[in-house]
Amino acid sequence: MRILARALSACALAALVVACAPSTERGRGLSLGMVTDIGGLGDKSFNDSAYRGLLFAHRTLGARISVLQSRSAADYQPNLEALANERFSVIYAIGFLMSKDLDQIARDHPHTHFAIVDAVVDEPNVVSITFREQDGSFLAGALAAMMSATKHIAFLGGQDIPLLHKFEAGYIAGAREIDPSIKVDAKYIGSFDDVAAGKELADVELNDGADILYAAAGKAGMGAIEAVQTRPGAYAIGVDSNQDGLAPGKVLTSVVKRVNVAVFDVAKAYRDGKPMHGHVVFGLREGGVSLTHFKYTRAKIGPARLARLARIRAAIVDGRIVPPATLRALAAFQPVAL
Amino acid sequence: MTLSLVLSLLALALVRGTPILLAALGGVLSERAGIVNIALEGEMTAGAFAAALLSYFTRDPWIGAIGGVAVGAAVGFALGFAATRWRVDQIVAGMGINLICTGGAAFGLIYVFNQAGVTPQVPAINQALWPMVVLGIALAAALQWAIARTPIGLRLRACGENPHAARAAGIDPLAVRLYASAIAGGLAGLGGVFLALGELNLYSDGMIAGRGFIALAAVIFGRWTPIGAAGVALIFGLLEALQFALQGNIAWLPSDFLQALPYIAALLALLGASGRYRPPAAEGKPYP
Repeated sequence: MRILARALSACALAALVVACAPSTERGRGLSLGMVTDIGGLGDKSFNDSAYRGLLFAHRTLGARISVLQSRSAADYQPNLEALANERFSVIYAIGFLMSKDLDQIARDHPHTHFAIVDAVVDEPNVVSITFREQDGSFLAGALAAMMSATKHIAFLGGQDIPLLHKFEAGYIAGAREIDPSIKVDAKYIGSFDDVAAGKELADVELNDGADILYAAAGKAGMGAIEAVQTRPGAYAIGVDSNQDGLAPGKVLTSVVKRVNVAVFDVAKAYRDGKPMHGHVVFGLREGGVSLTHFKYTRAKIGPARLARLARIRAAIVDGRIVPPATLRALAAFQPVAL
Repeated sequence: MTLSLVLSLLALALVRGTPILLAALGGVLSERAGIVNIALEGEMTAGAFAAALLSYFTRDPWIGAIGGVAVGAAVGFALGFAATRWRVDQIVAGMGINLICTGGAAFGLIYVFNQAGVTPQVPAINQALWPMVVLGIALAAALQWAIARTPIGLRLRACGENPHAARAAGIDPLAVRLYASAIAGGLAGLGGVFLALGELNLYSDGMIAGRGFIALAAVIFGRWTPIGAAGVALIFGLLEALQFALQGNIAWLPSDFLQALPYIAALLALLGASGRYRPPAAEGKPYP
């Protein structure tokens, strides 16, 4: 009953053409199921992006789609189980927190195809999708270093975990690519939800003299965007979704993870009879990570800096620059002459 | 350490500590009247959400602020009503209220704004941040005096220590507990307003982030006195400010440890205080 209620509320929320009664037969066209992480639909970020991919598959591939939302970590297992019992073509688990539950369920349903985002689950019927967040963060760091008047920039993370070290390492390396002597502070809020704490930590960084803040901290990162709004000459860089419009002109750009691209690619590969397996990585080259298009800040940044950014981007795509994914790799990173 | 750095640290401590202080004052008030208040988190959530919602629709942040306090008070009233008239177990009622408030706000976001997680940006009263900090400290002093030295304070304490004796003296313990709980909710709601409209200009799911429970801890470490609870809340704010400032400056200390620092300090304080102080004697016990 709980799952039914949740499925219904998910449909009502989406208010879109969502096939809610999944077929119990296999082979009647493409059907895609998805379990969201706790943020849920409407988070304007990770889950919404995955959902856009699903909708795109619905429109262009004619896939029937269904979404179950997780209100807590206790919902992952029953949600995945519910979808697995309905025999979807592909079932997506959105978020690394689901990896343990998915591992078990993939073993229990060896003939169902699963996909997980942001984690690696080593089962033959699971495709693991991860992103090279360091690619986009590298560009963010380079842009921050070019824009900083104080030669002091900062990184704010949600929690001190390896996933966020990709953002931190990429950002710092990107800044060093422009200016090896630049000062980069990296601090962690300790939460992805606590917006006030995000603002307070951003204020600490700004008071220390940093003038560009890159906040990879989910909703707490909005606190950094709040903080720069009252400081002339200070800018923020957004993450995950396009946050440029939250404070037009004060958010230089956003590093977006195109979960939708990955979700769609997995569905398309399945439909084409070539389902993806193993570990697939989406970076700048694959279109899985990118910067937004400087809608409000193009004039402020100026053509010279944008051109230099484009050269760095090209160098990452063709492999001349390899942004570090860990703090250890960061220590070994050397700026590349372009 | 330069003077300006010390000053900005203290400023951050005050901003960080004030919402906890406000909720903790509410906690002291209701606990001294005999109602265990673990619903502070929910009351802060309700206050913050209502404030953002009203500010959004009226475009007047002051209406939002007043509404946030009023909704917090209404939630406190509901807790008091359940605890006095229905004689519901106060812990269970408090937990229920926490769930209703956090879930209700999450649902309300979807229902009203058709988006999960966060409201749009709303008109705020950021200019009232520091007046609210001062108000919080002034309230702590005023409540300390009122509880210890006024007839109303005496009645409040009587209801928390021995409601039967209070009844014999002509006091209605049910009414006192009910109103104390409502005022407590209003104070916690003000804490929520401080976060949503004072510091920020939005409501976001999870933004209270456990401050209500920290406030509850401050009530206990503060020995159920307003000044004590306020002091603990501000010390907690100072420790949080310190960990923000120290992160990255002590290379060998992991940030996880620094983030845990305020909580470790709170735990040590609890160990130091355990056994030496006692809560109001009739706290948590239904009357009659």
